[in-house]
Amino acid sequence: MSDSAVIVDRVSKKFRMYKERNQSLKAAIMRGKKSIAEDFWAVQDVSFEVPRGATFGLIGRNGSGKSTLLKCLARILHPDRGSITMNGKAASLLEVGSGFHPELSGRENVFLNGSILGLSKKEVASRFDEIVEFSGVGKFIDQPVKNYSSGMYVRLGFSVAIHVQPDILVVDEVLAVGDGAFKKKSQNKFVEFTKSGRTVILVTHSLAQVREMCNQVAWLDQGRLAAVGDADEVTQKYQAHLDAAGS
Amino acid sequence: MAYLKELLASRELLANLTMREVSGKYRRTVLGQLWSLINPIVLMLVYTVVFSFIFRARPAEGDPSGLNLYPLWLMCGLLPWLYFTRVVNGGLTSIVSNANLIKKVYFPRMHLPLSVALSTGVTWAMELGVLALALTIFGGMPLPFLPLLILWMVLLALFASGLAMMLAILNVHFRDTQHFVALILQMWMYLTPIIYPISLVREGAEQYGMWIIDVYRLNPMERFVEVFRNILYDNRLPAWDDALWCVGWAGVIFGLGYMIFQRNEKRLAELL
Repeated sequence: MSDSAVIVDRVSKKFRMYKERNQSLKAAIMRGKKSIAEDFWAVQDVSFEVPRGATFGLIGRNGSGKSTLLKCLARILHPDRGSITMNGKAASLLEVGSGFHPELSGRENVFLNGSILGLSKKEVASRFDEIVEFSGVGKFIDQPVKNYSSGMYVRLGFSVAIHVQPDILVVDEVLAVGDGAFKKKSQNKFVEFTKSGRTVILVTHSLAQVREMCNQVAWLDQGRLAAVGDADEVTQKYQAHLDAAGS
Repeated sequence: MAYLKELLASRELLANLTMREVSGKYRRTVLGQLWSLINPIVLMLVYTVVFSFIFRARPAEGDPSGLNLYPLWLMCGLLPWLYFTRVVNGGLTSIVSNANLIKKVYFPRMHLPLSVALSTGVTWAMELGVLALALTIFGGMPLPFLPLLILWMVLLALFASGLAMMLAILNVHFRDTQHFVALILQMWMYLTPIIYPISLVREGAEQYGMWIIDVYRLNPMERFVEVFRNILYDNRLPAWDDALWCVGWAGVIFGLGYMIFQRNEKRLAELL
């Protein structure tokens, strides 16, 4: 087995931009089968490898295609060209608490969310105490989650996701949840996570966070790979690019 | 094949999604799951008054059960029909209404329509349980037919979810689908011998041409309703041709729905 956790091989993803879209049956029949569309390549010909145990950052300006690429990594979108190989079990965390049912209790939602993220009932049961402990929800665990404060909601969601313990975790800026103390706690959890040989891929806008957490970074610019490699080098280049664009 | 494997591997998710539907639906209602029984009972009363007392629909006596009660006869056909429409309506909107989940997490999307079929099946099983009890009290013997009943529930579930899966994909492209289907289902119900006996159609056909009955019986739900009545109301084995039609419809429609859904699944997140 190679020591790459993820191999991204010449991945491209296009979206159709509809000028006139046949969203209703009437439009489809009136205009015939053709709807007028233009292709927009959100990600073009991107290749890189993520080594095992790395914390890998994806950076770039708004609209650079990093979220699209992340969604491809999370298997939500499928690349039109190229391929992504994951060596190991992957889980993604693009939004915390997605799939929570507001009327169900925290406990029921932990099991539901755990299985959405790919855990078996047994696995959730064995980690249940840890999950509750980490989230700090405490005695509210048997209350319906709609009564939770937004902080409790995201903390519980995050806690479930981090306890899935996949080989590869794909994360989208979710570190920005909870208060300062919880942020610190979750960062520690990430460090612990990568130390045990697992891989994290994350998208973030905060360069400070990238420098602090990532050891490898890929910089995307208008859908293309601008640079990839050591975190400090690439973020410096990126910072220079931002300064140049800003002035 | 790989997809089937993935579906099976994540069957616990299907169980949990089903649980979410079942226990989330009647939270914070005083009557809880009883609500799922109230709806068919009210329908039963309305149809009985209108079609038994006013229009004087007279279904044949149950043979060999000897039952002769319009409300019970009605329910033996109406409950399967209600299940069918709930699965088609619920399954067809399951993708659009879970757009948030689909855009944020990967899991085999087929679990969404399938969980509708299962969770509705839980309600349906309770309804049929109450009906079976009533049938027994009034002198029927549905109990020995339980294995056959379960088999036919599975067949109807396959037929309904196959149709729901096809329509769910279509609904992502054209949101008209859900409104259009609601309309079609209403007409479909009156084209199926649920509130009136098929003997009325046969009488009409004898007068105007026998082709009418042949066309009429192409309706898959006609066969299903017939078999459910055989099992529950008449307490006898269904006719061979009816049974084969049901198996055929269930297999073909579920197979088609499965294929169509699986082919289109990958693009759902960007289409929503």
